[in-house]
This record gives sequence, C-alpha cells and structure tokens, in this order.
Amino acid sequence: MTTIQEDAIWNALRSVIDPEIACNIVDLGLIYSFAVTGEKVSVTMTLTTPGCPMHESIAQGVQWALLGIEGCEEAEVNVVWDPPWSPAMMTERGRAACQMR
Amino acid sequence: MEALSPTYSAPEPVATIRPAAPRAAAVPLAAQAVASVFLPLRFVLTGVASLFLGVLLLTLRPDLLATYHYNQYIIAVTHLFTLGFVTSVIMGAMYQLVPVALETKLYSPRLAKWQFVCHLVGVAGMVWMFWRWDLKQVGHFGSVFAVGVALFVFNIGRTLRRVPRWNPIATAIASALGWLALTVLVGLALAAAKCAYPDEPSSIAARAVAPALVALRALAGFVGRFDQMAAMHAHAHLGAVGFILLLLVGFSFKLVPMFTLSEVRSWQRVRWSLGLLNAGLALACFGILLRQPVKFAGALVVAGGLAVYLVEIVAILRARKRRVLDWGLRYFVTALTVLVATGLLGVALSWPRLRLTSFTGQMENLYGFAFLVGVVALAILGMLYKILPFLVWHARYSPLIGRQKVPSLADLYSPRLQIAGYWTFLAGFIATAVATLAASERALPWGCGLLLLSLAIFAVNAALILRHLAPPRTP
Repeated sequence: MTTIQEDAIWNALRSVIDPEIACNIVDLGLIYSFAVTGEKVSVTMTLTTPGCPMHESIAQGVQWALLGIEGCEEAEVNVVWDPPWSPAMMTERGRAACQMR
Repeated sequence: MEALSPTYSAPEPVATIRPAAPRAAAVPLAAQAVASVFLPLRFVLTGVASLFLGVLLLTLRPDLLATYHYNQYIIAVTHLFTLGFVTSVIMGAMYQLVPVALETKLYSPRLAKWQFVCHLVGVAGMVWMFWRWDLKQVGHFGSVFAVGVALFVFNIGRTLRRVPRWNPIATAIASALGWLALTVLVGLALAAAKCAYPDEPSSIAARAVAPALVALRALAGFVGRFDQMAAMHAHAHLGAVGFILLLLVGFSFKLVPMFTLSEVRSWQRVRWSLGLLNAGLALACFGILLRQPVKFAGALVVAGGLAVYLVEIVAILRARKRRVLDWGLRYFVTALTVLVATGLLGVALSWPRLRLTSFTGQMENLYGFAFLVGVVALAILGMLYKILPFLVWHARYSPLIGRQKVPSLADLYSPRLQIAGYWTFLAGFIATAVATLAASERALPWGCGLLLLSLAIFAVNAALILRHLAPPRTP
C-alpha cells in the first residue's frame, strides 16, 4: 500500500483554481484542513462566498485532483462556512496575484 | 492521520499539473447541471441580437430619436430594447442567478424551455406588429408573450418558495415579478383598448378563449377611461422601474460584493432602498396615470430609494478586498453614474408645471434613451462579461477542473477588446444623448454608429468566449 504524501496533496489541491479570481484554492486560503485515513483523503474547505456559482465545480475539481494522487482511492470534500473565508487567509502569493488590498 | 491548522506556509508551486486518472464512479458529475447553462445562454444571445438590431434601427432611422416618441416605429424599437434585449437577458440570467443568489434550485427547467418559445414568438411578433401598427396582432402576439411571462413568474415564484432563508434580495425578486405581471397586463389592456372584436366569437379558437377576451375587454374598458398617453407612460415606468431597475438593484447587492470580494455593509440600507423604490413607483404611477402632481412626490421617493442604494454600493466598493476593479465592473459602475443623471432628469420631468414643448419632448426621449442604453445596456454588457464566460466555462471546463489545467474566466476573452468596447460605447452614448437633445438627425447616426461599433466589438469578444464550447480538436 502506498502512503499518501502531504506534499502530493498540496500539489494536487494547487492544481484547482477559482476561475473567477484566477487563483488556485491553496493560495486563496480556501483549504482549512485535510486528513488521510489509509487510502482516503478528506478535505475541509470553504469558498469565498456562500452561494458561489462555482461551488459544485470547485468541490468536484478538488475530488478529481485528490483521486489523481497515487494511492488515493477515495476522496471526500466538506465545504463549510464557519469560519467564513477572509482575505487574511490568503498566502502572500495569492494576495499579489489577486491584487488584494 | 494528519490534520493541518488553517494557517500554514504554502509549499512551492507545482511546475506541471499531473492529469488525474478518472477512477471514479465516486465523483458526482456536475455535468447534469452543465446542460442547464444552454437555457440561459439562449435567452442571453437573443437579448444581445435584439440590442444589436435595435441600435441598427436607430442608426438607420435617426428621425426616431429626433422626434416625439409617440409613433409606431419608436414604440416598436422600444419594445425591441425592453422585451427583446433587456427582458431576454434578465430572464436568462435569472434562471441562472436566482438559484445562485438564493442558494436553491430552479423549480422547473422544462417550463423555462417552453417559456423561451413563447418569449421568442411573442416578442418577435409584437415588435413586427408594432412596426406595422397592427394593434390587434400586437395583442395576439402579446398574449403569447404573456403566457411566457406567466410561466416565468410561476417558475421563479415556486423557486422562491424553496428559499431556505428569506432575505431582501428575495423580496426584490418577488416584487419585481409582481410589477412585471402588472406591466404585461396593462400593456395588453392598452392594445385591447385600441381593438374591436365581434360580440359573439365565431371560430372555435375564439370561443375557447372567450372568457379571457371578456376579462381583457373589461380591463381595456377600465384602462380606456384614462388618458392613453398617461397610461402608456405608466406602463413604461411599471416595467422600467418595477421590473428592470428593481432587479438591477436587488441583484447588485449579491453580485457586486461577490465580484469585488466585499460584503453588504448595511442590510438596513438595502431594505430602505427596496422599500422606497417600491413605494415611490406605486405613487408615481398613480400620479402619472391620473395626471396628478403626486407623481412628483413619487419621483422624489424613487430618487430617495436610488440615493440610498448608491450610498450602499459605494460603501460596498470601499470595503472591497480586490484593489483593482475589473472592466466588467467598470461598465457597471459607469452605468450607475449615468443612473444618477437619469434619475435627476426623471425628477425634473415629473415637475407638475412642466409644459410639453419640443425641447421637453426631446428631454423625454433622452430620459428613455439614457435609461435603456446608458444605464441598463451598459450595466448588462458589464455583467455579461461575467455571466457569459461563466456559462461557457461551466459548460466546457467544469467537468475538467482538477483533472487538467483549465483557464480562468478572464482568459476566455480579450481584455483589450473589452476596454475598447467600453470607451466606444461611452463615446457613442454621449454623442447620441447630445444629438437627441438637439434633435439632430445629422448627428444621431454618428452617435448610434459608435454604439454599433461597440456592440460589434462585444460580439467579437462574445464569439471568442463561445468558441470554447466547441469540442477540442483531436490530433
């Protein structure tokens, strides 16, 4: 059985973008946490606003990206609104890319 | 097992994106939702084509804006703008946005498809028959359009009943639906008031709709008691303020914060603006219909609602996290600036002692043109730079995200063309507005020509967006 590496998960998540903001969801600060249980990866994340039209697309994209990791056979995505997203959660790279205040 | 805290140092970027192997029946496909984007797309494209045709007609017939607006041609063009362009785009966008803004699902996509057929037939027939000034046929095509509106109101109304948490945006949508229904009813009555039907329906088809004809005739008799010009102006304001403006205001409380990464600063202001707009419209239409000075008070209340709305929008924009406003939002903000001038003009025109002269007649033309083109068309074009890429992206790239590299929405079109379209539109609008005020048939084609050029630029960008719908070529 292959152990799923943390770096592989970050890299996979970074391949998913929010197409409206043109920034990947990691630098956008949308990923709150993840957990690996055997061959399953569970991600807890948020979106920039409740009722985001990209909700389904991004959540499904995360699932696809995780399933692309070697050794990952099951992926679970939990979208939560608490705590709500704020730009303070973005990385420096994300803030620069999005021309944030 | 490993859990990470919300704050972390991001790892180095990935050089290449590894295509993910689709393993999975486990993944719930958003593809089911993808098909639905073609429904709003149909409405939106119908709207854009109507706008183009409307501006083309104004370019070819400069007399339409240079003379008083009570003639068959300008009424036809006005309906092409209001129903063919604005209502089409609004309806298409609402099928997409209402579920998004209110976090629920559309009641029936199938009803929406039938509504599109009624809408297309109804609007095309109405505009054509207005142009020929055959009001009986206007009434018939208007009835087809009205059936479509009834389906739309029913569908969105049932969708609203599913809203988990009622909020002011839902209130704006619900009241706009009410005003839309009233606008259509008054419009049909106006057409029916100018037609004559034999007392006894002769054909089977006529007998089948006899009760509706009796009701419409009664309504037409009631509307016929009022000054027809006043009734027409009341009808126009019911649609323009009650349906179009109220939705523009309501949706912007959701969309502007979403696109600027901001938030509503005062829900109290949101409620006041919607309340004042609704109350002011009722008062103004009552005054317009009865030619009473109270219309001035109504106009002031509407202006007050707009002022509160603009204060809130400024507060939202000041609190935005995205430093730079993208050009789609600049279109929208410019439209709001024109809205201030149009609102002031509306208040001035509602002054009870204002005499109708050729100049005030031209001011009325300018008022209608500024609202439909300077405010609504500009705001819609700005929002279309959000909606159209989203619809196409959703249809084409939503199933691919996370599996391969996908473009952002802004990658789907040319920003240079978007900027060129903005400035050309603004120049065209100002030139046409000045030429309208001066009733200059020589200058009007230049202004309208610039507007047409701007729309052609938009069409190129729209084509760039739509080409993404084509399946990728396989080597």
